[in-house]
Amino acid sequence: MDSVFNELYQKYHHDVFQFLFYMVRNREQAEDLVQEVYIRVFKSYDRFEGKSSEKTWLFSIARNVAIDFFRKQKGWKERILEKFDWSDNQVKDDHPIPEEITVQREEVQWVYKCLENCTVDQRAVIILRYIHDLSIAETAQALGWTESKVKTTQHRSLKVLKRQMETLFEKEGKNSEKVRVER
Amino acid sequence: MKKSEWSDEELIQILRQMPKIEDNRHPHDVYQNIPRWKRKSVQWMFPGIAALAALLLFFILVPKFMDGNQQSVDKAAKSESAQSREMAEGNNTIKKEKSQDSTPDSPKMAAVQSNMERTAIYDDEIGNGQVLTFWIPDEQVSFLVPVSNIVAKSQGKTWMDLFTEKASELKEPEWGLTDYYPLNASMNLDQQNNRVLVDVPIGHQYGQGSANELGFMEILKKDVASNSTIKQIKLSTAGNDGIEFGNTGMTSELMVSNDKNRAFFFYYPQGSEKPFIVPFNKPFNDVQSALGAMKGDAPISGLQKSILPSFEIENVGNEGNTLQLSLKSNDQLEDNQQTLLCLEAILLTAKDFGFEKVAVSNSPITQIGPFDLTKEIQVPLAPNKRDF
Repeated sequence: MDSVFNELYQKYHHDVFQFLFYMVRNREQAEDLVQEVYIRVFKSYDRFEGKSSEKTWLFSIARNVAIDFFRKQKGWKERILEKFDWSDNQVKDDHPIPEEITVQREEVQWVYKCLENCTVDQRAVIILRYIHDLSIAETAQALGWTESKVKTTQHRSLKVLKRQMETLFEKEGKNSEKVRVER
Repeated sequence: MKKSEWSDEELIQILRQMPKIEDNRHPHDVYQNIPRWKRKSVQWMFPGIAALAALLLFFILVPKFMDGNQQSVDKAAKSESAQSREMAEGNNTIKKEKSQDSTPDSPKMAAVQSNMERTAIYDDEIGNGQVLTFWIPDEQVSFLVPVSNIVAKSQGKTWMDLFTEKASELKEPEWGLTDYYPLNASMNLDQQNNRVLVDVPIGHQYGQGSANELGFMEILKKDVASNSTIKQIKLSTAGNDGIEFGNTGMTSELMVSNDKNRAFFFYYPQGSEKPFIVPFNKPFNDVQSALGAMKGDAPISGLQKSILPSFEIENVGNEGNTLQLSLKSNDQLEDNQQTLLCLEAILLTAKDFGFEKVAVSNSPITQIGPFDLTKEIQVPLAPNKRDF
């Protein structure tokens, strides 16, 4: 096996996979996209300048792969249909919650659900900052942003998440209250 | 314990509790699944193929369209050239006619003469052959048409052998006649008793309908009369004596009599310009009345007059075996195919009345086709020569 691959796999594979998983919220897609990350890594490995760490470099590639994936998913068919089908513009959750999440406590599940409603950038910041525990500087490197942009995006995404959590809580709370009343 | 509000810190805490997700696949599998080939190559493949197909279609279709236009242009050009050619030809024919006027013995005249052909069979062409005549119903099956040809005699073969041989080679539909031969019967010569034996199989069609059975008997009699001197036909069915005819009843014998003193008429099958010269069955008392009848149509549909108004016979006389015809002096008589056919009908009629020669006098022309009117003309051996 390729020594470069071996090294990268040992060091970063699961990090990259986890990042993609939270980004696209689907294990199979994440598996496919990880392959794509490797292809791009091999294509541009000799161009890797070492300015940033290998880890942030890989994350930046993974982010680009994810963005390309979202773009592709929204293919020309969807783009055309979207123009005509106004009812389809609502946010929808067509991905079932993965098994790994459903076994967690309720609040974790809610956060996972609410993440869907963030933009791709907001989601990327939250995943990198809080799930992968990257510093502001590292996140800025991975996303190719300034640190201040990371800060504002992070602040804004937490706000969005909070609001989403509250609405979700209201909905879920009413449901559970109803259940309680019935008992 | 649930809360309806979270601080940033609490939210971050929850985020930190998000489960670690790992790729469960073996690294080897992951490595194997990395395509070595660039995806990009696949990306241009599809549009590339589509573009190629479009180009191909373009090159297939465009020449067609171009061709279509070209053809119409071609057609126009052709019709133009055809017109000009016609005009040129018109000039030529005019020239030709002019040249013919000035030289009567031009090749065209000769060609016309050679184009005129006799339709009957005459003594001078028989050579070593033998004449066979078949009587075939016309298209409407209302009368019988004699069709003859010269066949090569071969040793040991009787006329009956040749007759049955040739029966299958007749082209009745091509001639505009009813397909009748070969007969669904075996014909044999009984030379000892000088008779013809006709044997039909069981289930033959000749007994069905009076027209059918009369036609069959008539054809047998005429075939035998025309081709031999035999006077008797013996009939049998699958070897047993007699043939059962629906109307006539059981018949075991037919007597052959030579038809005589008939007049000959023209029969033009549909789409044909060359007539058959056909005898009408009713006998006449003398040749004069027969020739008179031939100026009009026969009283049966399909048989048309065979003597043209231009061929006006003033006097009919006879001297031994020669029929003497004296024509009214008439400028209209021309040496053409129609006149030749008319003369042949007269010759055949003369033969039916037992004449051997015909002499034509007082004619404005001396030649009709191959016949020299200054001499006595031999009557034909058999009518309507056709190849078979």
